[in-house]
Amino acid sequence: MSAPVQAAAGQLTPRRRAAGPGGGRPRAGVSGRARGQGIGYYFILPAVVLFLVFIGYPLVRSIYQSFTEWPGFGPSKYVGLQNFTAMFHDPVFITALVNTIEFTAVTTIVSTFVAMVLAAVLRAKWLFGTVFRVAIFVPALLSLVVSGTVWGLIYEPNFGILDSFLNAVGLHSIAISWLSDSGTVLPALIVVAIWQSVGFYMLIFYAALHDIDPELYEAAQLDGASVVGQFRYVTVPMLRTVTSIIVTLNLINGMKIFDIIYVMTGGGPDNASQSLTTYLYSLAFGGQVAGAIPAIGYATAIGVMVLLLAIIIVAAQLAIGARRRLT
Amino acid sequence: MRGASSMLAKHIAVRTLGYVVLTVTAVVCVFPLLWMVLTSLRTPDSAFGKSFIPTAAQWTISAYASAFTSAGMGRGLVNSLIVTAATIVGVLIVATLGGYGFGCFNFRGRRPIYIAILSTLMVPGAVLIIPLFLEFKVFHLLDSLQGLILVYIATSVPFAVVLMRGFFERVPENLADAARIDGASELAVFFRVMLPLVQPAVLTLAVFQFLNSWNEFLLAETFLRSPNLLTVQPRVYSIVGQYSTNWSLLCAAVVISVIPVVVLYLILQRRFVTGLTVGALRG
Repeated sequence: MSAPVQAAAGQLTPRRRAAGPGGGRPRAGVSGRARGQGIGYYFILPAVVLFLVFIGYPLVRSIYQSFTEWPGFGPSKYVGLQNFTAMFHDPVFITALVNTIEFTAVTTIVSTFVAMVLAAVLRAKWLFGTVFRVAIFVPALLSLVVSGTVWGLIYEPNFGILDSFLNAVGLHSIAISWLSDSGTVLPALIVVAIWQSVGFYMLIFYAALHDIDPELYEAAQLDGASVVGQFRYVTVPMLRTVTSIIVTLNLINGMKIFDIIYVMTGGGPDNASQSLTTYLYSLAFGGQVAGAIPAIGYATAIGVMVLLLAIIIVAAQLAIGARRRLT
Repeated sequence: MRGASSMLAKHIAVRTLGYVVLTVTAVVCVFPLLWMVLTSLRTPDSAFGKSFIPTAAQWTISAYASAFTSAGMGRGLVNSLIVTAATIVGVLIVATLGGYGFGCFNFRGRRPIYIAILSTLMVPGAVLIIPLFLEFKVFHLLDSLQGLILVYIATSVPFAVVLMRGFFERVPENLADAARIDGASELAVFFRVMLPLVQPAVLTLAVFQFLNSWNEFLLAETFLRSPNLLTVQPRVYSIVGQYSTNWSLLCAAVVISVIPVVVLYLILQRRFVTGLTVGALRG
């Protein structure tokens, strides 16, 4: 039924890719711009200085510091890989790692899928289509502090609207204290993250949908493809490039998750919602245990782990992209 | 006939389903914000009531008054305004210069330097926060708006340079050459010829930067200590801790922190959308 559609889609893929983000940028021959050899340095100088002082140096120092033990004062002591081996005997780190992975995986899958479906639905003509689009996008304008604060009130067990609503419809048994139950705290935070970001991803998909040739949908309709079929055989394949970008963004944002957790639970109850970043932050800047000595070396080592995970994600993304281009 | 009517029925079913999906999603997205606004506009003790919409006697803007007077939101707004404006100016200057340098000149080491900058785009802020904190402590830049502005500019520069380079690269080079033949200095070429050509991109970057700086929390929370220096995000966070039982005040503070963003969004809607998406697609 849909073979012709797929063929048509296949035919058009190169064009789509050329129009895709960054893909078709005309390579203005830089070699031809040989003029003013040395002058270029002056233009990049401010950027390079800022980069070296505030990103390059801290990055190198971070990596060095991760091999040391340092309470934040006095001399630091080189301890080799001790911080990294210690992590895997640290139950809080393991919880934080598992939480971060769970958080990242669920938000990535759900956000990407929901955003794509919403964009595809919104592509059709609807009464008040713009109103729907703006409404769904609005949370993306908010800071994570704002989102966290508002949802903190929503989840509040006594007067929050969620439990008030559940009680009103008679579901007293599930009207619980969402953020102080170690079983529900992570899903509750994930919901906030998805709520906050889905409109933004939806908008990117929505913009990309306008580059799809409408004839493809007409062809699919003529072939008798249903709405779902059109989504499956036209929309999804045509959005492949954008989807991979959004998945990567989602993964990186998931790895970095800090604000929502810090604002809503501080990693609690009893570390049940700790992520790698909130854990390293509490180790370095206190709050983990009142009066605890900051463990700067260990905290930066966790930071280096976050960096490694980010590198793995980007490398995987590049590898998949490269393989796709070959086939 | 039967086929046509069943197709019509199917069409109606699909449309109805579409409206249901859109309405439910839109309500889920907007409802928490609506509730927040309503809560900010009622008396503190009525915030715990059963009614969703305040009764006539419960409407008040007193929460906004106390957000400004006792919770320091006014100071927060001013601080955020200063930091955001200075950051935007700083990033635009450094990034347009840098983007032009990387995009329109050829010099030794151009590629390795550019790749070094590009590859740090994915470095999570949490990795840099500890060494940055220690570095700023040495420079005595902690707990100052200047310090925060500097760290915002520095951490925004890599992405902004990459973005601007892409735009400068697409400017035909003979335009600059023509100006040079006319005897224009390199700075004049940049300011009079090249910069006006990428003006839309500069505006987009400014909007993108506005949202990022205004909504930034981690660095502000870590670097600022004095209550009178806090920008809106850490200010709101501290109000959450301090006035956790006064929901009207909390919600008023949140609404105040959001208003500048919403106002700018309404003025520059199109720019906002491209500003946000450009960040995603190029980053």
